[in-house]
Amino acid sequence: MFDQILFILSAVLTMGGALAVVFSRNLMHACVFLLACLFGVAGLYATLNADFLAATQLVVYAGGVVILMLFAVMLTGGVQSTVNKFGLEKIPGMGNTKTYTAAGLSVIIISFVLFKILKNAVAIAPKGQMVYESTVEKIGTLLVSDHVLAFELSSILLLGALVGAAVIARPRHIKDDV
Amino acid sequence: MNNTIVSYFAQFEGFQEVVTKLSEVVGFNAMSLVTFIIFAIACVVVLGALATVGGLGTYAERKISADLQMRQGPNRVGPFGILQFLADGVKMMMKEDIIPRHADKLTFNIAPLLCMLGVMATFAVLPFSSGFTMTDLDVGVFYLIGVSSLVGVGIFLGGYSSNSKWSMLGGMRGASQIISYEVPVTLSILAIVLMAGGLSFGTIVAAQGAWPHQWFVLHNPFTMIAFVVLFIGILAETNRAPFDLPEAESELVSGYHTEFTGMRFGFFALAEYMEVFVVCGVVAALFLGGYNVPFGLGEGTFLIESLHVPAIHAKGVGQLLQVGSFVSKTLALYYVVIWIRWTLPRLRVDHLMTLCWKYLTPIALFNLVGCALWMYFFQGESMWQLLGHLGASAGSGGGH
Repeated sequence: MFDQILFILSAVLTMGGALAVVFSRNLMHACVFLLACLFGVAGLYATLNADFLAATQLVVYAGGVVILMLFAVMLTGGVQSTVNKFGLEKIPGMGNTKTYTAAGLSVIIISFVLFKILKNAVAIAPKGQMVYESTVEKIGTLLVSDHVLAFELSSILLLGALVGAAVIARPRHIKDDV
Repeated sequence: MNNTIVSYFAQFEGFQEVVTKLSEVVGFNAMSLVTFIIFAIACVVVLGALATVGGLGTYAERKISADLQMRQGPNRVGPFGILQFLADGVKMMMKEDIIPRHADKLTFNIAPLLCMLGVMATFAVLPFSSGFTMTDLDVGVFYLIGVSSLVGVGIFLGGYSSNSKWSMLGGMRGASQIISYEVPVTLSILAIVLMAGGLSFGTIVAAQGAWPHQWFVLHNPFTMIAFVVLFIGILAETNRAPFDLPEAESELVSGYHTEFTGMRFGFFALAEYMEVFVVCGVVAALFLGGYNVPFGLGEGTFLIESLHVPAIHAKGVGQLLQVGSFVSKTLALYYVVIWIRWTLPRLRVDHLMTLCWKYLTPIALFNLVGCALWMYFFQGESMWQLLGHLGASAGSGGGH
């Protein structure tokens, strides 16, 4: 029963947050609702007995991505140019042919992927009592044994991103003081 | 199942009787109900205690700063002015609640709450003792890093939503500072996780002993460096001086909480003081042996075997001693934090970032590698054990 209560709370937080992100007309508010949504997803992971994944979700998304988004929104001045004093009438309409086409195609692709996953999930018989055990050690062992190639590739990707960021952020030395 | 306060009580025989009796009364299996009640009581106790610690933190701050500056400090309300924080709280609640007209209402309202939420969520894994901890998650340290990043969001939103330039600058500084310093802090914590072989606070504390030479801070030279890096990092993460740039009062009026009044401001202040306690507790648990108590007093073995005290009392006493050990170490660190605030001048923004990215982060990285190498070459033995081996071999080699 406790699992179900937690699941319902997380699901409501996730869905509510996601809907609020979509229907919010203020970009900054949408970021805040996205935070709630991501917390809900972390809760869903926790109810699925994936404690490490839940904590990672908190660290990466709540700590990193949302703050990054807030910074990006603020530094690009997205809010100033769209908010006026009566609300957000200045936002251009999102519903034109191009957006509907893109959205429709993405829905088709995502639903294919989802149904592919769901087919397996439905086929497995539901277990009785959920047994909680740590997943940290298993993930750690698998990462450096079976999935070591993916682990190393992603580390190289991240290293490349770091170097790229450092190159972009580097001050350009203009030789005008000579 | 994790080690929680419920599992601590469940080890005694009386617990099952209570559960079965309650099950007969309510008509269904009362285990969940009892668990819920125990957790609820524990939550209330921990929140109340730590809110009081946060309040007393403001008092300690003022009193210690007064001592350092040869003043009296608060001395009117209660003995030695110790009830000053209550008076401050009442004052804050009775202040007019002002929301600036051009503030972003939603974010303005939730920013202080996000700060409080981020700090309070960390209480769940704070290791007060082996039994009286809310829960000993398998990913305890990682979880703590994750939820405490909410404080950064709260500070940023507080600065943004006030629609004031000072708040804005303070909020931006706060967020960038917290994100930056998370890197060396996490790397230092990772070094300790590597030594202990687990992310849960229980594992980390159990890997250390009660005596200072068994603590991780004196385990090897690399952990000593990690301790210093982590301590500097947490000062920056909690926006304490010399890193209190987000609220630098000489430049930014009061930084991100300039526009907040009454209890909204109080939430920011309380969250800061409670966060200092939490991070000091984390440092104490990671490096200073946490709740370990010598002579087997913590598990109650000493009292049970030599004094024949019943197990439930012996263990209760042991838990209380463990809480005392943890809290005294934490408060000692708390004192150092306050001491540093009133001793060192404030850094400049570029110095702050230089310190983080050019010094602390590389040091923490090499330190992590150093810890790994130490574990590999010396099989995890501390330098005192190695010295002991050296002395023993020298003694036997000398032919005495």
